[in-house]
Amino acid sequence: MGIINRSKLSGWLDISQSVSGVVLAIFLWTHLILVSSILLGAEAMTWVAKTMELSFLTADGHGYPWVVTIIAMVIAVIALIHVLVAAHKMPLNLRQQRALKQQLNVVSHGDTRLWVWQAATGVVIFLLLPVHLWLIGAAPETIGPYGSADRIWQQGVWLLYLPLLLCVELHAAIGMYRVAVKWGAARDLNSRSRMKKIKSIISVIFILVGIASLLAFLPYANV
Amino acid sequence: MSQEAKKGRMLTFNIFRYDPQEPGDKPKMVKYQLEETPGMTVFIALNRLREEQDTSLQFDFVCRAGICGSCAMVINGFPTLACRTLTTKYPKGDIMLMPLPGFELIGDLSVNTGKFMRELAERLKLWLHPISDDIDVHRLEAPMDPAEAAKLYELERCVECGVCVSACATAQMRDTFVGAVGMMKLARFELDSRDGRELEDFYHVIGNQDGVFGCMTLLGCQDNCPKDLPHMQQIAYLRRKMAVTLV
Amino acid sequence: MKLIYTDSLVVGAGLAGLRVAIASKERGLDTVVLSLIPAKRSHSAAAQGGMQASLGNTVKGMGDDEDVHFQDTVKGSDWGCDQDVARMFAHCAPKAVRELANWGVPWTRVTKGPRQVVVNAEKVTIEEAEAAHGLINARDFGGTKKWRTCYTADGTGHSLLYAVDNKAISMDIPVHERMEALSLIHDGKRCHGVVARCLVTGELRAYVAKSTTIATGGYGRLYEVSTNAIICEGIGQALALETGVAKLGNMEAVQFHPTAIVPVGILTTEGCRGDGGLLRDKDGHRFMPDYEPEKKELASRDVVSRRMTEHMRKGKGVDSPYGPHLWLDITLLGRKHVETNLREVKEICENFLGIDPAKDWIPVRPTQHYSMGGIRTDATGQNPQLKGLFSVGEAACWDMHGFNRLGGNSLAETVVGGMIIGKYVADFCQQNTLEIDTGLAESFVAKVQTEIDTLVDGDGTENPFELKQQMQRIMMDYVGIFRNGPELDKAVNELQALLKRAKALGLKCKKRHANPELVEALRVKRMLKVALTVAAGAAARTESRGAHAREDFPQRNDKDWLSRTLASWPDAQALSPQLDYEQLDVMKMELPPGYRGYGINNAIAHPDTEKREHQITEVLSQLGDEADRHERQAALMPFAVPESLAPKNERLSEMTPQQVVGEAK
Repeated sequence: MGIINRSKLSGWLDISQSVSGVVLAIFLWTHLILVSSILLGAEAMTWVAKTMELSFLTADGHGYPWVVTIIAMVIAVIALIHVLVAAHKMPLNLRQQRALKQQLNVVSHGDTRLWVWQAATGVVIFLLLPVHLWLIGAAPETIGPYGSADRIWQQGVWLLYLPLLLCVELHAAIGMYRVAVKWGAARDLNSRSRMKKIKSIISVIFILVGIASLLAFLPYANV
Repeated sequence: MSQEAKKGRMLTFNIFRYDPQEPGDKPKMVKYQLEETPGMTVFIALNRLREEQDTSLQFDFVCRAGICGSCAMVINGFPTLACRTLTTKYPKGDIMLMPLPGFELIGDLSVNTGKFMRELAERLKLWLHPISDDIDVHRLEAPMDPAEAAKLYELERCVECGVCVSACATAQMRDTFVGAVGMMKLARFELDSRDGRELEDFYHVIGNQDGVFGCMTLLGCQDNCPKDLPHMQQIAYLRRKMAVTLV
Repeated sequence: MKLIYTDSLVVGAGLAGLRVAIASKERGLDTVVLSLIPAKRSHSAAAQGGMQASLGNTVKGMGDDEDVHFQDTVKGSDWGCDQDVARMFAHCAPKAVRELANWGVPWTRVTKGPRQVVVNAEKVTIEEAEAAHGLINARDFGGTKKWRTCYTADGTGHSLLYAVDNKAISMDIPVHERMEALSLIHDGKRCHGVVARCLVTGELRAYVAKSTTIATGGYGRLYEVSTNAIICEGIGQALALETGVAKLGNMEAVQFHPTAIVPVGILTTEGCRGDGGLLRDKDGHRFMPDYEPEKKELASRDVVSRRMTEHMRKGKGVDSPYGPHLWLDITLLGRKHVETNLREVKEICENFLGIDPAKDWIPVRPTQHYSMGGIRTDATGQNPQLKGLFSVGEAACWDMHGFNRLGGNSLAETVVGGMIIGKYVADFCQQNTLEIDTGLAESFVAKVQTEIDTLVDGDGTENPFELKQQMQRIMMDYVGIFRNGPELDKAVNELQALLKRAKALGLKCKKRHANPELVEALRVKRMLKVALTVAAGAAARTESRGAHAREDFPQRNDKDWLSRTLASWPDAQALSPQLDYEQLDVMKMELPPGYRGYGINNAIAHPDTEKREHQITEVLSQLGDEADRHERQAALMPFAVPESLAPKNERLSEMTPQQVVGEAK
């Protein structure tokens, strides 16, 4: 019985990794689309930010900024789960790291290199994401064209956001591609290479949209 | 046939050399030069190097026709069968040969894939467990769906060359990981209507970190398999089957 | 010295060896298998086309049975085979196929309804029976009256080897990999095991056993170009030969396969022609019907190979830097067929020739392929000279192939012979005790040790690689498809000169552990002796029979040569084997010598042939009309198989409709 439970556990861990990853990726992309409302102007973004705070439920239109805090906390929890279940597949001890390094030196393989990128970006995200979540979760009311612009450009948080954006968009797209292949969405090698192409396009588009959005905050920061 | 006798170009082989049984010997790369002949394969080249330049060079070939799976090695970064690798594939004429990683090294390019595969077969019970053991060989055989037979053969084309294991970073990092070869073979028996094992039985051997739930879908197996076996689809299929048993 | 004791020792882990090991283990005997390589890498895996067994499930196999299979086999052998053995074989072949289905072989199955096939270059639609749906299918092969070759696409040998090795693993049969047997341990009357060397550590071990079964395959690599794996070097035959007692049978009977690719000699299966592929010359002309109007491309292998050689000698071959060749055309089968049923062929063409066989013709020429000769055994697989020494598969001259083997009968021999002989080996082990004479074992180990010491530390200068190459060239040039007296004598002389030189072999690499040069040196000495048995046997046999074609003696001569050549090497220092002959008794034959149905009918009759034919007519007429085919057969030539294999084989065509319905349920 003990053996069965233990082996069932690894199944659950693997599924949790896929599910948490998919949830995070979908959230990430939605999040970026919402943030990119700044590209349509300050009003558009204000409307989005307010709506997220459920302003339509309150008479004065102020909404509940703590909703954002809760979202940040939920994301933090999902991310933590994702990190914990993913971590046990990483090369944790020296022997494994050596084996991986040796492997990368001897055998040339694209998808394995992709995974190394994913692992590396994962580590970076693991370090940067908590800061981002803390900044937002602690001051949800500041989200908006002026508050965010101030944070990004005056307080220098773009130094955090730019690497985070790059990492997270690579990590998520590669991850979504891998989840799809892992559970059998690619019926043949052609559909796999098509999916791989789509994955790269998604990464590029979101990185461009993200950078554009960051830049779009600039005018509001200078006011 | 456009095989005209032309003067061959000079090939440079950079070969991993190490004899673990020779006291004091250390792993090193050694360069050899050889004139290319028409239709030359790495099999032909290595034999000529051994006969003409260094008789101690170790490597394994058996069928030299891409059938037996003995001669897998890493050629310019890609694990593959050496016997059917034409030297013309390398326009620069530089060919680097490394032994297959992830297996016990016997010496130079020779690795002990046989021992690995036998242990794997014993561990995962990679044989048909017939529903009934006492069949009457004198009587008409039990019918089988022709499509099923064809599908089984497709999966049975594995030659146990070890390329999938050597191309898998997961297998390299974790010794107990069964690798694509183990999963593919179990998938083959899982599909076989003559096999009496239940899903739970299969779960028991690969429904864990060493099996489908430890696989990170890096697909080194799929991309290097000399027999083009459908690893990607089959491992995904097994994973779904195993996941279903969770609920 | 390391001594390992066991009941049943098997040398060689191909299909035949593994099947014998399984039979031993089934009886609870301690069993050990020695192999140069991992079992699944054995040359058995290379058999692409299939194995013959008269199941008669496909509509084109209807009416097939043991009798037809037996007759095809005897005719194919050019009456050189042992008819008792051919009977045992034909009787047990369907059982082996059915047993293998239960061990996991995914035999290609019959699909009911119409199906398009290519017969004689024309598309024909055949209709498979409803009742046959899902039963084991068969394809056409050369030299057979019916479609009888059971197959799994074109990887039959691979599927069989994997299933049988898996079975062996499930029974926990140990295979000692990378062990090379170098000498038999014997006392002149009884074989007690082998001395083997570990190819990794160089350690010498004595394996002492009740029975020793040699299943090391053929000796194709005596030739420069061969379809055989590079480990098929005749070392098993050399083990027996070097005892000075045990005899080898029909070593000159060497088959050339018509369609190996040029230049590397990799086989394209007979299934290519069986499925409808054609042979064409440099003008694109289909020439086989000119020579063999009835059987065309599907005459037996020796005939097709000779016709191809003949045609190329007329200048009709395609020139290439590697000499002339002909074309094999399978483009008419269609891409789908090529990519599913002839996939290995496609891979080989792509990887070694860079062509697409669904579109391009394949360059082929006859190439050394199979060794009909081998260690002489009786019908139980035991060597008549050395008790306890068994041999099975291509290594043996059990003698179901005589002077030419039919396509699909070699793979069949491994598992059918293994099944039958395995039981006799097990019987032997149960009836005999282990005789342990450690002194004897030690003396044989010491002899091999001295041999190695001399090679490593001696002052010899001969290069083993060079000697081997020269031997291979001699065999190729003078002991090939067409043979003649002067060339064969030349071959014998030159081989003897090489054998002399082999006494002064020297090594550059002095390692005593893993050392490829040492391995080569140990082998080449042994191979030269085996090569001499082939060349000397061929030189002595002044007739043409099956694959042994003498230009100077083109007739099959039953009067003088209806016999089996036996070669032995009583004096280790001698430079040639001793040859003697075992007469085949026409008066005991079920099928007296006659015309094969292909090739030239020019045989010189044996004086007993006519007598035996009369006798047969008489015996059959006495039986009356009510006797069935089994009774008629038993009256002509009773044969024995182990009891558990004795029952008759059930066939679809011999069942009543009610039975068929019952089966389907």
